[in-house]
Amino acid sequence: METIQLTIDGRTVTGRAGQTILAIAAENGIEIPNLCYDKSLKIYGACGLCVVEAENSPKLLRACATKASDGMVVRTDTPRALQARKVALELLLSDHEGDCKGPCALRCPAHTEVQAYIKQIALGNDREAVAIIKEKIPLPASIGRVCPHPCEADCRRGLVEQPLSIAYLKAFAADRDLASGDPFRPTCQPDTGKRVAVVGGGPAGLSAAYYLRLAGHRVTVLDAMPEMGGMLRYGIPEYRLPKRVLAREIEEIRQTGVELVNGVRLGRDMSLEDLRKEYDAVLLAVGAWRSRGVGCPGENLTGVLGGIDFLRAVNLGESVSIGKRVAVVGGGNTAMDACRTAVRCGAERVYVVYRRTRAEAPAEDLEISEAIEEGVEFKFLTNPAQVLGENGHVIGLKLQVMALGEPDASGRRRPVPMENTFELLEVDTVIAAIGQDCDPAGLSQVSLSRKGTVEADETTCATNLEGVFAAGDATNRGASIAIEAIAEGDRAAAAVDAWLTGKPMNFPEPYYSKKEVTAEMLADREKKPREAMGVRAPDVRRRDFDSVIQGFSEAQARREAARCLECGCHDYQDCRLIYFANQRPIQPERFAGEKHPGFKEQALVSIERDQGKCVLCALCVRACREQAGKGLLGLVGRGFPTVIRPEFQDSEAVRDCAGCHLCADLCPTGALKILGKR
Amino acid sequence: MRLVIGEGSCGVAAGAGKVRQALQERMGPQEPFTLGSTGCIGMCFLEPIVELYDGDALLRRLVRVRPEDAGDILQAARSGELEGVERLAIAPEDAAFLERQTRIVLRNCGRIDPKNIEDYRRAGGYQALEKVLTSMTPEQVIEEIKISGLAGRGGAGFPTWFKWDAARKNAGPKHLICNADEGDPGAFMDRAVIESDPHSLIEGMLIGAYAIGAAEMIVYVRAEYPLAIVHLELAIEQARQAGLLEENILGTGFSCDMRIKAGAGAFVCGEETALIESLEGKRGMPRLKPPFPAERGYMDEPSNINNVETFANVAWILQHGGAAFAAIGTENSKGTKVFALTGKIRRGGLVEVPMGKTLRHVIFDIGGGIRGDKTFKAVQMGGPSGGCIPASLLDTVIDYKALSATGAIMGSGGMVVMDESTCMVGMAKFFLDFTAKESCGKCVHCRLGTKRMQEILTRLTEGRGKQGDVELLEELCLAIKDGALCGLGQTAPNPVLTTIRYFREEYDRHIQDKKCPAGECPALRRYAIDPDRCKGCTLCAGKCPVGAIRGQAKQAHEIDPEVCIRCDQCRQLCRFDAISVE
Repeated sequence: METIQLTIDGRTVTGRAGQTILAIAAENGIEIPNLCYDKSLKIYGACGLCVVEAENSPKLLRACATKASDGMVVRTDTPRALQARKVALELLLSDHEGDCKGPCALRCPAHTEVQAYIKQIALGNDREAVAIIKEKIPLPASIGRVCPHPCEADCRRGLVEQPLSIAYLKAFAADRDLASGDPFRPTCQPDTGKRVAVVGGGPAGLSAAYYLRLAGHRVTVLDAMPEMGGMLRYGIPEYRLPKRVLAREIEEIRQTGVELVNGVRLGRDMSLEDLRKEYDAVLLAVGAWRSRGVGCPGENLTGVLGGIDFLRAVNLGESVSIGKRVAVVGGGNTAMDACRTAVRCGAERVYVVYRRTRAEAPAEDLEISEAIEEGVEFKFLTNPAQVLGENGHVIGLKLQVMALGEPDASGRRRPVPMENTFELLEVDTVIAAIGQDCDPAGLSQVSLSRKGTVEADETTCATNLEGVFAAGDATNRGASIAIEAIAEGDRAAAAVDAWLTGKPMNFPEPYYSKKEVTAEMLADREKKPREAMGVRAPDVRRRDFDSVIQGFSEAQARREAARCLECGCHDYQDCRLIYFANQRPIQPERFAGEKHPGFKEQALVSIERDQGKCVLCALCVRACREQAGKGLLGLVGRGFPTVIRPEFQDSEAVRDCAGCHLCADLCPTGALKILGKR
Repeated sequence: MRLVIGEGSCGVAAGAGKVRQALQERMGPQEPFTLGSTGCIGMCFLEPIVELYDGDALLRRLVRVRPEDAGDILQAARSGELEGVERLAIAPEDAAFLERQTRIVLRNCGRIDPKNIEDYRRAGGYQALEKVLTSMTPEQVIEEIKISGLAGRGGAGFPTWFKWDAARKNAGPKHLICNADEGDPGAFMDRAVIESDPHSLIEGMLIGAYAIGAAEMIVYVRAEYPLAIVHLELAIEQARQAGLLEENILGTGFSCDMRIKAGAGAFVCGEETALIESLEGKRGMPRLKPPFPAERGYMDEPSNINNVETFANVAWILQHGGAAFAAIGTENSKGTKVFALTGKIRRGGLVEVPMGKTLRHVIFDIGGGIRGDKTFKAVQMGGPSGGCIPASLLDTVIDYKALSATGAIMGSGGMVVMDESTCMVGMAKFFLDFTAKESCGKCVHCRLGTKRMQEILTRLTEGRGKQGDVELLEELCLAIKDGALCGLGQTAPNPVLTTIRYFREEYDRHIQDKKCPAGECPALRRYAIDPDRCKGCTLCAGKCPVGAIRGQAKQAHEIDPEVCIRCDQCRQLCRFDAISVE
């Protein structure tokens, strides 16, 4: 056959006469986007993604349909071709009614593949589940216990009855994996010879270290405390996260080859300067360890403690002198940890002073309930006006009584003081759990925010210093939850890796198709209540520091995991639409309009068709006609409402289906799903 | 004496059937005149039309005839005394409508009885065919067409000889197909030709079939043209009887037969490759070109597709010579073009003029300008694939290139005339409603692009437009022009692009002020009652279908704009002219 030579994107390639531009490009490893082409089927030319420009051709050419000629000069990436392709993708996505990922994964700061690991747990594959989790979270047993799980807030099961118990399932799988004797261990990339210093062994630092190690770099974690874990180790009480669990997980990180060094403090035992000289890159993940004061007269009296300082002392096993009557100021999770720890330290009356109401409290509602069960008394709508003292020691707390006013910028109703209304609380200890700040010691060269945190780029974690990155509580907005720190650690690892290996430093937020789902749309789902987590009785658990939760039984975990509605698309990994959509920036929202109804039809040829995800490429129609020789499917309707259904709407045609599944195999999106198959 | 009734679809729609019935009821068994029929005379605005002939001489053309006029007409026909019908005679300025035209395509329309092959023969019909079959080679025919400069009249304006030549050079069984799926809103010249002069189509196709070597001729007519189908079926039958079809035509050894395929009414089937799919019994969706139909068309065999008007020129060209045809028109565009003149025009109907005449000539000299006391605003040329041309470009000549330069196209000949009361955004929306609905659904750019454009235009006309909408429309337009699969999709943005080009300010007013300058968009109209004029008669309040008007009797009323549905009833009812619209 005659050979022809042409140029595609500046590359000279060879093909055979009669071949299309697309076929020759594919043979030469040049990708031209397309959704409706398959080499075994007749040319169709519907999707409009494969448009290219050729010299001396005034029109855009469809690469799938245009026969290449000798000497042709083709460009696949001219502004005109890119624009036509972009608009086609935007139009398709403006009419795409589907969720690429479940709301859980999108809400998780670390974008953990929740649906995938829950599925593995449901199937009894805990090790596989952990492998999936550890792509994002290197400490699943610990995080599963302490995470306030924003994922669960968005879980669509919540629209049916209650959200899935995602966090506890994560802990379940990770516990089983660790106990199995053959825990999941990742493989590291070949050694790159690059050395990275990670300052701080908390969730951000450990995560970054783990993923940098996996990428083949030599990583040393330098931590000021006697043991690794940061706030997970020293901020979270034992009854919520047993230290042996955390230690076991940190051991797994060490197993990958990360060097862990404790007892070295930046600014005391080493300088940033030294680290920059010794290592190829430095990641600052020093955390936020300074408790904020109560912010009222008397805050320097003996008996006024910082929440974090208190928790750290208890976790260090230091003898903490705590009185009989304790007031904890604040409504967040640290306040809950502090008040419940105070109970366990033997305090007789423990109060929580919070200026808003329970509804506005940032602490998890379950934590508040458990604290109340353990005897903690909540003084909502009160705010410290003065710490009262005698001989330099706390004897009480004067509380300003508050009322809720107009909503503030956060949407929560603003607490306003009620004039001349005060309350007196007789206490001997006041614990301020109203926030933490970063200690800037040793960070003098790094540019800091007004809050005293390290200024780091939101996507690349880069600081003002070349090769110095920062992540976790010590950066930008300051302290947040552990999973946020882990997410930042993940991002920092990717950025440091890119920087070390000279890869581009841009990490665009991927485009995901999302669907609005209401409770009515899920009304037909069978109600399956959330599995209750076993907890020890309040009057027992308040006496010791042993774990409050007892963990899921295996039967419970499998049942709970099976509740997942599998909101995310089954075909996300293989979806060609989303793959092309993420090649370049797109804004389908600007074409937002009517979407064709996204109903699912199961009667269609033994395969479920989600009309909302169908892009009308007609590969299924054509495969059924041309390859299977059946012709059971056809396009029905005209214009925008066109859908693919049995030819001539003849549902009887279904009976002739041989079940070859060619249609589903060729479908470029998740519109077709073989029933009974994942 | 002969009485002839114009019984094309337009005449029938205007009441020609009732006029015929009234005449026949009053006719005796023996009359000194005959009652005949003809097709579309071309003056839709004057239908029903009855003509009085003495032999071939037209004595009187009676217009806007009503059944009540039957007595006077019969009296005149019997007596030859025309005074009783003078009141019905066409006015001289209306008669100019026809006099100022040059009719080649429509040469027999309204002059012969379409149901009678002999009428066609008497008018010179089938002489060209005989000449071609007996004295010319196919190559000579194609050469003559090349000399004539005839270009496809369906819209694209592609040289006819080139397509014929390409089809001729391809081997195998070939098909000659006539595209009579005239789908542009406001276009009806093809219907008129088939209804009124079907044999000119048959003759033109036979010549084409001979030229390319076709074994079969197919006419794809939309089923919405029942009268055209009936007339064409009859004409085919008569042609068969006369030995003009099937085997050994006119004893020359050339054989070809003709059949009709009634299309089920999809606009996209007017696109030639979609038409072929439809002919093959498949869903009407365009195919990719190449391969062009001349290479692989109907049944994957070489095929040639021309439009009705193109074929209707062919016999004339072969009879009078290509040079005679080429002598008419401009350098780029030869011959004549038929336009279907509609809209706010004083005299609407079919107008055939030589290429090179100005739009002003067609709209004002022939069409008589705008109806009523309004002023001309724009003319939409080429239907949904075309564009609008504003008053400032009225001196544009009818020529493929000149019209394309305006952003409009020659198109198939639809000419929708608009006056100052037409909203150009609404006009663009009308055409996008059409193309979005008629998109076959195959390619992404057309299926979703036209839908999104339609949505944006809808929100503009409803006062929900946003800053940047015009730019978004333009971006969509360009992407669709570039990315759509077939000609219909690629040209669908034209009405939007041209209205933005010439009437951008109107778009901006819709967005910024939420006002329709033409006052046509119902959602943007504001009805108000002038308290000084309102007498409190309560008439409007009583008739308002949504109870938007409130007020005490004998006191000024008020309209609640939130409730008002802008049906306009109140304004029409008010005897005191108290209700204003903004």
